[in-house]
Amino acid sequence: MTARMLPGNKIDEFAVRLMRSAEVVAPRRVGEEDVFYGAIASPDEIAWDYGTAVEPLKRFLLPQREPILRFSTNGRIRVGAEYDEQQRVFLGVRCCDVTGVAVLDAMYGGDTVDPYYMSRRERSTFIALTCQQPEPHCFCVCGDAGPFLEGGYDQQWTALPEGMLVEIGSAAGEALVRDNEDLFAEAEVDQVAARYRLAREAEQKFGEFKSYIAGAMRKLSMNEVAPAVWEQAADRCMECGGCTYLCPTCSCFTVTDRMAGQDGVRERHWDACLYSCYAREASGHNPRPEREDRLRARFFHKISHQWAVRNGRQACVGCGRCVLGCMGWAHTPAVSEGIRRGVMT
Amino acid sequence: MKGDRIGSGVEAGLYVPEIATIVGARDLTWQDRVFVVELAGGRSLGHRPGQFVQLSVFGFGEAPISVCSPPEKAGSFDLCVRKLGGLTKALHGLGPGDEVGIRGPFGNGFPMKAMRGMDCLIVAGGIGLAPLRSVIDSIFLNRSEYGRLILLYGTRSPRDILFPEELEAWSADPRNEVLVTVDEASEGWGGHAGVVTTLFPRVTIDPVRTVVVALVGPPVMYRFVMAELEAMGVPEDHMFFSLERRMRCGVGKCGHCQVDGRCVCVDGPVFSAREIKTMKESV
Repeated sequence: MTARMLPGNKIDEFAVRLMRSAEVVAPRRVGEEDVFYGAIASPDEIAWDYGTAVEPLKRFLLPQREPILRFSTNGRIRVGAEYDEQQRVFLGVRCCDVTGVAVLDAMYGGDTVDPYYMSRRERSTFIALTCQQPEPHCFCVCGDAGPFLEGGYDQQWTALPEGMLVEIGSAAGEALVRDNEDLFAEAEVDQVAARYRLAREAEQKFGEFKSYIAGAMRKLSMNEVAPAVWEQAADRCMECGGCTYLCPTCSCFTVTDRMAGQDGVRERHWDACLYSCYAREASGHNPRPEREDRLRARFFHKISHQWAVRNGRQACVGCGRCVLGCMGWAHTPAVSEGIRRGVMT
Repeated sequence: MKGDRIGSGVEAGLYVPEIATIVGARDLTWQDRVFVVELAGGRSLGHRPGQFVQLSVFGFGEAPISVCSPPEKAGSFDLCVRKLGGLTKALHGLGPGDEVGIRGPFGNGFPMKAMRGMDCLIVAGGIGLAPLRSVIDSIFLNRSEYGRLILLYGTRSPRDILFPEELEAWSADPRNEVLVTVDEASEGWGGHAGVVTTLFPRVTIDPVRTVVVALVGPPVMYRFVMAELEAMGVPEDHMFFSLERRMRCGVGKCGHCQVDGRCVCVDGPVFSAREIKTMKESV
């Protein structure tokens, strides 16, 4: 591990320097309790003591609505596309959310690169903040996505009484230290030891929402899920799509043309596989006519072996937002436990 | 980073269609129309039989449409489109000189290599004949490379029969057998009536020398076709089915065409019976 110390009185200065060359996205308190990730105008806005941000980082890489093509039908048809080239540093974001980006990378990178996603992704730097006090809905230990990471970040910060212990995870993370060498101090052995002690302590603080993903993965992948599980989950699911919107790794989209006179814009926007019309074809045939079919498809994508191989990891990171958002108790911990036991409880 | 360098205003990219011109159009039936499409400068699309394009009708959106002409056809390609939704209704209003957008070709296509030297049994249901026409025409243009050609084609009623002159031409070749059936016989129909599987007892094949490619709908028909073929002794890795799914992107990103662990747009649309049996949701 390569680690340095950023003393407590230098954190704001570091953030200010980041803001000179990039948009800095950090946790900000909105209202009394809620924390959202958003672009900051000053380091004072950063909410360092928070649990889970209401939304993951998804919308900064895949906006909910995004133009992917502009065209004009005036005379000969002309088309063109623009890409977001804003440099962004994601500062103090949660480990589970940084891990969620790895799943998006697999979906939107790979053999065929999505240019809109990758234009943003290549200009993004992730500084994760380790989680010392998981919230009751959290289960990132079951998602291999926290509360502390062993990799997958540019920098990982752990709050210690004297400042931030900064672990360096990439060349981009190292460059941020090198370019601001005057702010950083050497990390002492006991400070590194404190990071590992805090990680062990954090792992003891998880609540009731364990997600037995290994068991669920086996049954899903082998097609051994008791049909009653999907029927029971379907009774609970309101088909609102909230879990898909809040999920760091749900990334399905649909596409719509909008016209203003002879100028048009083709937009993509988030879609949800739980919606009844999601897979319906022009003929009217729907391969997933029942809600249980759609729930099975969603969880298959989240935690089957087949998709884990394809994405390089399971798609659930254990952020627990589906626990908070689901009105019907059909969230991932409930369904994965149901799959494992053969009955929803 | 593969492909084009990304920068503001770069007019190239994964979702940017190429502007193409409709150079011919004719009605095939009361609901199906064939469009002949030309890329700029008559550039070849470079597709394989069974691949599809994402067709843009600007202002109405984009839809996956199978190419129904063979790769050997130079200068332009054919798309057979049924009038079903907003985009296809708008497309049916277009004719020669009108412009559309084309992305692709996408998908894997039919296993033409595996069919070489073999007898080819082609099972088509409804508009499924359109993509299979690219296979049949390709076999025709390279006739000596393939064995027997047997086409079993089922459609709803006599007025829905696609490419009637071509069916005639195909059946004129003594190495071919073309059998047509309709679900609902209307007055004056002297041919066979019944679903496409009722044609199977009328043909004799050598199951180990035969490769089957099929595109039938609705999806439940695949199960019946598969069962018939298995009863005839065709091995499951000699049977290939092209699946239909809703698609928004054609490149494995939008999620709509996922079937278990696969994306029909990039991993398919053609799958062997062996693969289909491992995909619970496929048929």
